[in-house]
Amino acid sequence: MENTLLSDAVQALKPTGLNYEFLLDASERGAFIRGLGVTLELCLLTIPCSLLAGIALAAMLTSGNRPLAGVTRAFVEITRSTPTLVQLYCAFLVLNMLITQQLREWGVSSNPLTPFIWVVVVVSLHKGVFHAEALRAGIEAVPSTTLEAARSLGLSRMQLLSRVQLPLALRFALPSLVNNVVDLVKMTAVASAIAVGDVTYESIMIWSQRDNVLELLLLILLWFGLLTWLVSVAGRRLEHRLRMPGYGQ
Amino acid sequence: MVNKFVIRFANDITPGSAPRAWSVGPGLPSLPSLLAHAKRHARWIAALAALLALGLLLPYWSATGTTPVAFAHLWKWFPALLSGLWVNVGISLLAMALGTVAGLLLGALSFSRWRATRTAVRWYVQVFRNAPTLVLIYFTTYVFPFEIRLFGGGVPFPDWVKVVLGLALPTSAIVAEIFRGAIQSIPSAQWEAAQSLGLRRSQIFRRVVLPQCLRRMLAPWMNLYASITMSTSLASLVGVHDVVDTAQIASNTVARTDFTVLIYLVLLALFFAYCYPIAHATRGLERRHERY
Repeated sequence: MENTLLSDAVQALKPTGLNYEFLLDASERGAFIRGLGVTLELCLLTIPCSLLAGIALAAMLTSGNRPLAGVTRAFVEITRSTPTLVQLYCAFLVLNMLITQQLREWGVSSNPLTPFIWVVVVVSLHKGVFHAEALRAGIEAVPSTTLEAARSLGLSRMQLLSRVQLPLALRFALPSLVNNVVDLVKMTAVASAIAVGDVTYESIMIWSQRDNVLELLLLILLWFGLLTWLVSVAGRRLEHRLRMPGYGQ
Repeated sequence: MVNKFVIRFANDITPGSAPRAWSVGPGLPSLPSLLAHAKRHARWIAALAALLALGLLLPYWSATGTTPVAFAHLWKWFPALLSGLWVNVGISLLAMALGTVAGLLLGALSFSRWRATRTAVRWYVQVFRNAPTLVLIYFTTYVFPFEIRLFGGGVPFPDWVKVVLGLALPTSAIVAEIFRGAIQSIPSAQWEAAQSLGLRRSQIFRRVVLPQCLRRMLAPWMNLYASITMSTSLASLVGVHDVVDTAQIASNTVARTDFTVLIYLVLLALFFAYCYPIAHATRGLERRHERY
């Protein structure tokens, strides 16, 4: 029943010049849907990881500990000014190779770090750097008069941070954080470079057999369009919920 | 800052008197001020020192015949890496030029009188801003033919041109957004004021609005250039012989662990050396604009 519906749809699209016959082949359809799932999984794992990395990096940048802040600043600058693909290669082809060699010396034959994990780590750190910059800007944007007012009310340093400074900083930083997450969703496509079976990779496998590049690319773009749209809708909702009446805008 | 220092420094060495700039005394660039100056430019000085150290190390190694094998290989592959980087730079410059022209046109069209045009531009911008760059590069690489038939003859359509087109698509969408944002940031009171001076619409646009817009667009435009340059690394995935591809070939040909580590670090350093100064200058510009 479902299959006839699908084949009807494929037949209906044929006159437009789009050939979606691969959807009728159970194994190719399965691979493509798995690819969609892997991309979603990458996003769902990387978004929270990148936010955690961003908070940690922002804390280090604003810690006041000069050596720590200096090292973090260097890491931030290098990450921002080099391509994600090269970072991914440095992690997967260099670091992973060294780890595998070391493990072999210790008598461990298999490396537990998969390409999937490396993509999550690299993309999380890469976007974490951008989150950290947004959060730092947010922390610096809290007016000093507000902080003075809070201090004069007798709030302790911790209370000041958790009840005044961070809530305001989060609200200032939220628009750029949402932007960063949209970028992050797009960035997961780079996973295909090291053969993680995301939607881009599975599509390459299919179109190298069938030569139906345009059809698959439209589906990929639709999928990424849907994911980025969901992120921006969620971001707008959050902005609305966190909005303080009479503050900002 | 630099100029001020140079002037002070030059004033201290007054003509006719013995150069005494390096002795510590009254009225001279004192050691603390020199140190403060060095501190302010610490990262550039560190980069220079690293280059200098390398510059001294290389002749020492070749003179004593103790060049580490990995560095010897790097020395051999370095020209290939640089010509690969040149491909990246060329692609980024062309994509940026094409994308900027198209983006300015689109940005202008987004203020069109007709609703259909405005909607079409909005959709274009949305689609190409939210599409992964890698997917767009695949799109232009595989959808366009190998060669274009022109007047009976076939004109080859090389892959790097397709990558330029693939990168120009998101560039044009983002430039359109930057342009639209800059125009909207000009207070509408300026239009009214200029109108009351008797200027025509086109005159207001050209002589009042545009000069201010260009200044506001410069920083985000440079940011975009840096990000497009980084995206050119994706060209290696569709078979363009760029710097990333060259590094991979080198790493596979030499097949030594230490060389692989070295060449990927050099790859990282090359991109950093090209993109960091741009990012640095952009931030300088942004800071200056905040003061207006």
